[in-house]
Amino acid sequence: MRYDTLLRSSGVVSGESDLWCTYAAVRTLGWLGRIEDLPAPETVAGFLASRQNSDGGFAWSAGMTSDAWATYYCTQAMAELPADSRGTAGRPSSAWVWSTAHADGGFAMTPGQASDVWATYYAVRTLVEIYDERPPEALFDWLAALQAKDGGLAWSPAHAKNGASDVRACYYAVTAWSTATGGRGALPWDRERLVDWLRGRQSAAGGFTFQAGDETDCLWATFRATGALARLGGGPRDPEGCVAWIRERLHPEGSFTRWPGYPVPDVWAAFCAVGSLRELGAGLGDVADGVVRTVLSFRTRHGGFTYRAPEFASDVLTTSAHVLAGRFPDAGARDALRWMESCMMPNENGIMYMPGRGSEVRCTLWALSAGAFQGDAPARAAVAEWLAGAIQNPDGGFGYWEGRASDMVSTCAAAEILHGSAGESAATSRRGIAAYLASCETAPGRYANVPAGRPTLRATLQGLRALHRVAGADGTRVGDALARHRVRGGGFANEGNRVPDLLSTYEATLTADVFGLDWDAGHLTRFLDSVRTAGAGFSWTPLMATSGGPLADCLGRRLELRLSPERQALPPLALS
Amino acid sequence: MPTTDLTQIHARVVAVLEKRFGDAARALAADADLSDALDGFDSLAALEYISAIEGEFGIEVDFVGDDVRHWFSTVDRTATYVRECVEDQAA
Repeated sequence: MRYDTLLRSSGVVSGESDLWCTYAAVRTLGWLGRIEDLPAPETVAGFLASRQNSDGGFAWSAGMTSDAWATYYCTQAMAELPADSRGTAGRPSSAWVWSTAHADGGFAMTPGQASDVWATYYAVRTLVEIYDERPPEALFDWLAALQAKDGGLAWSPAHAKNGASDVRACYYAVTAWSTATGGRGALPWDRERLVDWLRGRQSAAGGFTFQAGDETDCLWATFRATGALARLGGGPRDPEGCVAWIRERLHPEGSFTRWPGYPVPDVWAAFCAVGSLRELGAGLGDVADGVVRTVLSFRTRHGGFTYRAPEFASDVLTTSAHVLAGRFPDAGARDALRWMESCMMPNENGIMYMPGRGSEVRCTLWALSAGAFQGDAPARAAVAEWLAGAIQNPDGGFGYWEGRASDMVSTCAAAEILHGSAGESAATSRRGIAAYLASCETAPGRYANVPAGRPTLRATLQGLRALHRVAGADGTRVGDALARHRVRGGGFANEGNRVPDLLSTYEATLTADVFGLDWDAGHLTRFLDSVRTAGAGFSWTPLMATSGGPLADCLGRRLELRLSPERQALPPLALS
Repeated sequence: MPTTDLTQIHARVVAVLEKRFGDAARALAADADLSDALDGFDSLAALEYISAIEGEFGIEVDFVGDDVRHWFSTVDRTATYVRECVEDQAA
């Protein structure tokens, strides 16, 4: 893999602050004792507070449902800011976090979803460090069941039975235990085998990988490994080599890069390097000024942060949306596709939302739909193998990224990508998908996003489309769902049949096409007229007068193209 | 209780907004754009606002046919829309 295309970026910049980046930036400044260098911290607090929903939890993006990941990032980053800049948001109650708890002691990312160690870690840290509460005693039994045969820890007890250990899972589990006990409780694992497995992930060069068999060391794995080992009262097999490897990642611009060959310092590299050097007890004095200066240069005009200099901070969803909407000249689209194809971590074959982040199923679907790896059969096969062989959950579904519990959006996206993939693993994977879909069926032909969730139109259409892709399904139930959620004046509603939205209407039209069902062009036209905004943009619902951003503009434009005399097919996209 | 008095309708619209936005709603100019004047008046808040107006006045809004972006963008316009709905129901 060559990363030259990332140097300046040919993708599209949204200009928005990102929660993942904002959390990493604030925590890095906090660890360096330099939070006072942050100009206008109240604007960061405002950005974080804007992610809070009325249920008390936080979402990764405004308008999305609350999840444990966003709730931890928002509350922890808020706590790092000076007290007088925080406003009144951020400390309503722990009730939302408890709504994700399972009786077995684990926590889910959203209510009704299965537990995983990512969510459990976030929930435990939020409960203990923000709300000063104790997690349930059953937590320790759940954590104990994460140890796999090889001694490492896995994403969930079911993953552990399959033997899939990962350094990140080790860190999240060990830190959850340490946070819950103050590091003084009985360790729920065989310590010696766990420490041995973690130390085995360090390469001769000094850095760490996530999993056995990975070839390229990265800072993310190095941070998580050193953090887990520190909490276990140990350290790397070669601590000096580890410090040296981290320092080799220091870029002349003043901060860190992610792995050998990766050309750009970014916010997660700074976070991981500073975090890891702290865990190792190494000095930070000589790097602090460069890191602070670089991280502060990642601030956006909205007060939060993105992952690198904002003018180059492209992301895959925005870039895919521009390509799919036909907003690039040919050469620009080709460059954008090459940029998206470079958005892969070493040792992974899916496409990331932002470079240096874990690969995400949904983003991979958008990039492939836009044309990434078109005509590159080996690359497409590698993506399918990543889905079927590396990240499918034991329940048969897929989560947003590796180790996250399954949800309908990701599972539908995976089914779309795997559609047409040949081979034994793809066939096995498709059978697993059908099993997961069954667990989300709340009544015949009605589906929820997660097994114990509420049925909605979008989840139902995604479930039926995914079922059609992997096992075949007739259109009767699609027709029933569309009739239930058809809004009289135009468009389709996700819940009930009164307030139509662009995403549900897109999914409705796409699914009707997939099943060969007729639909009313006049009905769709009336809806599009109600969400069209100035400058050929589209809002998410008829309620707003301004564009919903590049993704909304893309979906609206594709629906217009579907209505055009050419009747251009809708790409099979899933978003939320 | 049905009313077509614009002043009364106006006051009840403001009261609906006050429940969500407090003092900021009370201080609003009648022709101020809600999404500019009220911090947090996003699409979700707009939906909650319209639903609350429906409940307050016993009317039903057509989200596609009625140009809700226009009619629910200010207190004045909302009050005018409500009066027309109430008058239509009474006719």
